[in-house]
Amino acid sequence: MIHAERLVKDYATGGARTRALDHVNITIDPGEFVAIMGPSGSGKSTLLHILSFLERPTEGAYQFGGRDMTSLADADLAGIRNRELGFVFQSFNLLGRSSVYENVELPLLYSAVPPRERKAKVERAVGAVGLTDKLLVEASRLSGGQKQRVAIARALVNDPQVIFADEPTGNLDSASGAQVMEILERLNNEGRTIILVTHETYTAEYADRHIRLRDGKIESDSKPGKRRTGIDGFFK
Amino acid sequence: MRFVDTVKTASAGLRHAKVRSLLTILGIVIGIASVMLLMSIGTSAERLIVDQVERFGSNLISIQPGGSSSSRFSPPPAVLGIVIKTLNERDLDTIRREPSVAGVSAEVRGSARVIFENNDLATTYIGVTGEYFDIINLEFESGGRFTPFDDDSAAPVAILGPGLADELFGERNPIGKTIRIKDKTFRVVGVISAEGLGLLGSAMSDMVLIPMSVAQKQLLGINYYNEIAVKAADGYDVEFVKSRIISLLRQNHRITDPDKDDFTVRTQAEALDLLGTVTSVLTLFLTAIASISLIVGGIGVMNIMLVSVVERTREIGLRKAVGATNRDILMQFLVEAIMLSIVGGIAGIALGALLAAGVYVAVTQFSTFDWAFAMPASAILSAVLVASVTGIIFGLYPARRAAQKAPIEALRYE
Ligand SMILES: Nc1ncnc2c1ncn2[C@@H]1O[C@H](COP(=O)(O)OP(=O)(O)OP(=O)(O)O)[C@@H](O)[C@H]1O
Ligand SMILES: [Mg+2]
Repeated sequence: MIHAERLVKDYATGGARTRALDHVNITIDPGEFVAIMGPSGSGKSTLLHILSFLERPTEGAYQFGGRDMTSLADADLAGIRNRELGFVFQSFNLLGRSSVYENVELPLLYSAVPPRERKAKVERAVGAVGLTDKLLVEASRLSGGQKQRVAIARALVNDPQVIFADEPTGNLDSASGAQVMEILERLNNEGRTIILVTHETYTAEYADRHIRLRDGKIESDSKPGKRRTGIDGFFK
Repeated sequence: MRFVDTVKTASAGLRHAKVRSLLTILGIVIGIASVMLLMSIGTSAERLIVDQVERFGSNLISIQPGGSSSSRFSPPPAVLGIVIKTLNERDLDTIRREPSVAGVSAEVRGSARVIFENNDLATTYIGVTGEYFDIINLEFESGGRFTPFDDDSAAPVAILGPGLADELFGERNPIGKTIRIKDKTFRVVGVISAEGLGLLGSAMSDMVLIPMSVAQKQLLGINYYNEIAVKAADGYDVEFVKSRIISLLRQNHRITDPDKDDFTVRTQAEALDLLGTVTSVLTLFLTAIASISLIVGGIGVMNIMLVSVVERTREIGLRKAVGATNRDILMQFLVEAIMLSIVGGIAGIALGALLAAGVYVAVTQFSTFDWAFAMPASAILSAVLVASVTGIIFGLYPARRAAQKAPIEALRYE
């Protein structure tokens, strides 16, 4: 489903040029739970942004579901992000002054979903992260763990095939982090592809495939047979 | 994105920053309010002038010495201090015999000191023929007019303007008293009422009316007129009467080339028209000045919107990440700016109306003017329109800035 060849991403910063990705080849099949790991500055986020259509590569080819990124206009990318992809960020990125409901509804406003179908979709997504009782609470009043669960509900609301998460537990205590990871695991068990960026090994253990980056290159790509599941494993 | 959702999103954005939104619209409120106030005052003033002039009869025709140049805005030569002696008693008699004319009177003006006991005032005296009072509807506070007979017999009688009467006599009754103008004594027979004068008030309040014969022969030593006033007879079109007067005067003055007329004939309607045009131009001019404050208000909106766009960079990034297109973001910020401006515009209209009402109260309280409160629908409509256009013009640039942010740059922004 995801197929990238020789991805290069260069950033020009004040005359100097940084190569964030250096000829990366990657293929991800539907239903995989992939953890992208590596030291800070190794290009993890950059790779995630390209794979999730937030950014275009400097060079290389990228296909998502058979469509080539270079042939798609910005508005097409926005449409694919809206309908087929979900995003979870380290810093939640909620609209603080808006309610949980409004935050989760946001992607629906940019889609063709008719208004009368929105409520059910929002309630289903919020139910899936266990926050039904917080539906009308202002997002800024929630705890970190609750905020990240709202973000997951927002990612889920359009029923996407792939969820991209960039260090979703980075700002959370371990108990909240475990909750978030369990939700992601459950979504993966339901058949969704999860692509997770993390530098924590215990978070990566939820994944069934580990891709390690170093200096913008893939250092290793492995499928550890056994994966950690459930909250018990988290505290081991 | 559906338009309803854009509007909802924009209004939520504004509600979440109430104080900032209020401060932003302040400029628009003040701008629209001042435009509204001036348009209201202009309209009221125009109505007042029209009312006042109509009160003195819409079938009046005025003849002034000297030709008028092609522009109707150029003042008659008399105003410029040029003495033209082309109107005389023969003209007056000719016009008086014209069947389409109901009445005719002449005026001369001079300045002199008016003395009563120890009071001594510089003033303008107007010599009028006895028929003057048949043509101009003056109201009297006390006493009354003089007659054509008084004029013929050069009776030393005088009618005082209300202001002059007040300054010369104070609380005392002027009727029957003797005043002196240029060493001649006059008996006061009437005082004009201030209310009846209306807009002429300021001009006529300090004047004194005396018989034409006295003014011409005893005070001025001239045999021409400064103005002739004609009242068209009932059933005759004023324009027709005007054309009759013109041809009669051309005969009298032996003029064959119309460009060489040595007199100017104006109907009341033309004078009205001229006044109306002058007030309209004045109103337009003042409104244009007030519009500058609207531009300043618009720049205020732009300024705050630009700050808002920077502050909300992450929000823009997030919206783009979850599927907002450039157009969605552009519309969101543009609609925010337009909503701010329209709300500001409506508040401005309300404030402007309030101020205009204040002017109404002040004018009716402290003057005798028959001032009317006016808030024309066209002004309200154009204010709303102008406010929205201001929003679009000054909201477009910040909105474009917002729309052009790359999603990931916006998300990375700290
Ligand atoms: N917008 C940008 N402009 C310039 N340089 C950039 C930009 N984004 C990323 N980089 C550079 O690209 C390289 C890879 O960055 P990236 O954010 O992908 O690293 P990362 O692996 O996610 O690191 P971290 O674990 O700290 O999040 C870094 O050297 C970074 O400085
Ligand atoms: Mg990163």
